[in-house]
Amino acid sequence: MDKQEKRKRLAKKIQLNLAMTVGEIFDPIDEDTTRPKKMAYFDRIFKTFTQGGEGAVNRKKTQKLIGTYCLFVPEEIIYAAGGQPVRLCAGAYESVEVGEEFLPDSACPMVKSEVGFTTLPVLSFYQQCDLVAIPASCDWKAKMAEIIHDYVPVVMLDMPKVKEGEASRAFWLSEVKRFTKEVEKVTGMRVTRSRLRGAIQMIQKAQVQFRRFHEIRKAEPPVIHGRDALEVLNAYFYDHVESWTAAMATLNDELEERVNNRESVAKPMATRLLITGSPMVFPNWKIPTVIEELGGVMVADEFCTSNRYLHDKVAVDEGLLSDMLHAIADRYLLPSCCPIFSTTIDRRDRLLQLIKDYRAEGVIYHILKGCHPYDVETRIIEKLLQDNGVPMLKIETDYSPQDVEQLRTRIEAFMETLKGQRHKEKS
Amino acid sequence: MKVYRLRIAVQAISFIILIYGGLFYIDMGNRMPTFSCAYVDDRGGGCFLIGFQHMLSRPFGEFLGDAGIRLLKAMGIFALWSIVLNKAWCGWICPFGFLQDMLSKIRSFFDVDLSRFGWITRTRYKSVKYIFLVLLILIPLGIANSFFGLEKIPRDWSVPFCQICPARVILPVFNGDFSQIHIDFSSNTTMVLTTIVMVLVALFFTTAFVKRRFFCSYCPMLALLSLFDKIGLLSLKKNGQRCTRCGNCSRACPMEIREIEEEKVLTNLVTQDCTLCLRCVEVCPEDKALETRFCGIPIFTASQQGFLKRQGLDEESHTNKNGA
Repeated sequence: MDKQEKRKRLAKKIQLNLAMTVGEIFDPIDEDTTRPKKMAYFDRIFKTFTQGGEGAVNRKKTQKLIGTYCLFVPEEIIYAAGGQPVRLCAGAYESVEVGEEFLPDSACPMVKSEVGFTTLPVLSFYQQCDLVAIPASCDWKAKMAEIIHDYVPVVMLDMPKVKEGEASRAFWLSEVKRFTKEVEKVTGMRVTRSRLRGAIQMIQKAQVQFRRFHEIRKAEPPVIHGRDALEVLNAYFYDHVESWTAAMATLNDELEERVNNRESVAKPMATRLLITGSPMVFPNWKIPTVIEELGGVMVADEFCTSNRYLHDKVAVDEGLLSDMLHAIADRYLLPSCCPIFSTTIDRRDRLLQLIKDYRAEGVIYHILKGCHPYDVETRIIEKLLQDNGVPMLKIETDYSPQDVEQLRTRIEAFMETLKGQRHKEKS
Repeated sequence: MKVYRLRIAVQAISFIILIYGGLFYIDMGNRMPTFSCAYVDDRGGGCFLIGFQHMLSRPFGEFLGDAGIRLLKAMGIFALWSIVLNKAWCGWICPFGFLQDMLSKIRSFFDVDLSRFGWITRTRYKSVKYIFLVLLILIPLGIANSFFGLEKIPRDWSVPFCQICPARVILPVFNGDFSQIHIDFSSNTTMVLTTIVMVLVALFFTTAFVKRRFFCSYCPMLALLSLFDKIGLLSLKKNGQRCTRCGNCSRACPMEIREIEEEKVLTNLVTQDCTLCLRCVEVCPEDKALETRFCGIPIFTASQQGFLKRQGLDEESHTNKNGA
C-alpha cells in the first residue's frame, strides 16, 4: 500500500514537472506573432500533455489503440484492422528517472523515457494501449518488450539487419504477416483487400500533404521554423491520419500564401542548418529552440520522427492482398535509413540530396547518449560531409535541460564559422 | 492517359495488326523482332527468327555469295527495327507477351497470388534463352554442313525453334486456324518435337497464369534484342542519387529484375531481361529517379504527382499551385 502511494505521488510529481516543461515551451511560442496561425491545431495536441495526455489521441471509444515504436510498424495494417495507431516514442526528461529503475545507465534517454511512461501512469495513452508493437531495431528496443510486458500487452517484430538479402526480405514479410494476425486478434476485425487498399490510400493522402509541406520548406526565405516542422510530424504520432491530413492541408495553404507574400520567419541571410542523427521528440526541442533563438533556421532534418516518417510510399501493383502486404513490408524495410542496418548507402545519398535541395550551409549531428547506432555512423557521415565541403557539428546530449547554455555557445560558434565561410565565398 | 492503359491499348492494336493485318493488306516485312508468327495466315508482318533459321541452313560456301548478302540484309533490317524501339518490341508490341499479360490480368481478377522466382533461380534461368539462341543457329547450319566430319543433321530438324515454339501453335488459333494443334507422326524427330511443343503449350498457359511473363524469361528473341540494349534509341535511365531503394520498381517488374532497384551508379538500366514495359517508372515515387528517353529526349519521367495519380488518388485540388 505504502509503495503504491509512493508511486502515485511520484506520478503526480512527474505530471506537474511535465506540465511545467510544456508550459515553458509553449509560453514563448504563443506570444510569437510571426508563427503560422494554423499551427494552433497541432499545439492543442501537445498542450494536452499538461493534463495527462487525455484527448491527445484522436480515436473513437470503441476503437482499439495499438502502440507502436520506431517507424517500422505498418500503420496501414492497423488502420485496415480498425485500430488506431499511436507512436509512443518519447522525449520527456521527466520520466527518464523512472525508466532508470529498469534500465542500465548507458541506455539512451529515449528508451528510459518510454519505459518510464509505460510503467508510471502519467500520460494516459501509454497504459490504454490494447497492444504495443515493438520492432527489435536497436538493442534497447530488443529488450524493451520483456521489461514492459507486465504493464501492457506486447508484440515484438524481429528486424533483419542486412536488408539487401533475399532471406531478410522474406523474413520481414513473414513478420509483417504475423503482426497482421496479432492486430486482427486484438481488434476482432479482418484485414481485407478493400480495407487495406483504403488504409493505404488514406496514408498516401497524408503523404501528399507531407511532401507538399516539405516542398514548401524549400522556399526562400523560409516560411516555417524547423521546430514547427518537427511539431507537425510529431502530432502525426497521436492524431488520426485523416484529421491530420485535413489540418496539414489548411496549414499548407497558409504557408503557400506566406511564400507568395514572401513572409519570412527568419531574418534575411539567416544561417541555414540541417539536423540529423538521433530523433527529437516533444518536449526535447532544446536544440531547434536554441538555433531559432540564435537567429538561425533549421531548414531540414533527417529524423525518423520527421522527414523520414512519411516520405516513402507503398506502391500498389496488382491490388491483391498478398501483393499489398508485400508492398507494405518493402516500404517499411527497404528505403529506411535507420542506422541499425548494415549499410549507410541510403542515408548518405539522402543526406546529400537534402543538403542540396534545402541549400543547407551546415549540418548538426545530434546523438543521444547511449544511442549507439547513430554514434557508430558519425565517422562515416563526417567523412562524407567533409568530402562534400559541408561543415558538421557533432552534439552528444541527453534530455536534461542542464547543458542548454553550453549547447548555445557551441552552436553559436558553429554558426559564426558558417557565416565567416559565406563571406569568404563571396569575396 | 495512364501509361499502363496506353500500353494495353498499344498491345491490343499491335495484336490486331500482327494477327489480322493481312486482311487489310498490311505487310510490315518478315524481319520483325517480335513474335508475329509466320504460321498465322493473315499476319501483318513476320517474325525474324523463322527467316533467320531458313537463311542459316546453307553450306558455308554460299554465305560468301548471294545468300550471305541476303542474310546481312535481313540482319540489318532486324537491327534497324531493334535500335529504333529497343526492347519495347517485347513490352509493347509482342502479341505473345500480350497474351501473357492478359493471363496475368485474369489471375489477379480471380485473386490468385502470383509466384516469383527465388533469386538464385532467377539468375540461373537467364542463360536458358542463350541455349535456345545457340541451338537455333547451330542446328540449321548443321543441316546444310557437316561439323568435324560428322553426319549432317536430318532435314526434319529445319527451323528447329519454330517447331518447339508455343507461339506457332497458339497464335494461329486467333486466326481460326487450329491445324497446328497436332502431333506429327511422320518421323521420329517430328514426333518428338511436336510432342515437346504440345507440352510447352500446356506449360505456357499454366506458368503464364501463375507467373508474369514466364515465357519471356527464356525467349531467344529477347536474347537477340539485348544486343542493342545500350544503343537503342529508346532508353531507360536511372539517377541513383535520387533513388531511395524502396523496391517498388523491382517488385512491380514482370521480369523480376533486381538491378533496377539495386543499381546506384550505372545510369542505363535496359538490362538483359528488360522488356521496357515501363512499369518501374510508373511505380517510382521519386522525382526524376527513373526516366525513359527517346533519342535523348525525356518522354516519361517518374514523379510524385504521377505516382499518386496512377495509384488512384486524384490530386488536382492538392497540387502545389505556386510551384514553391
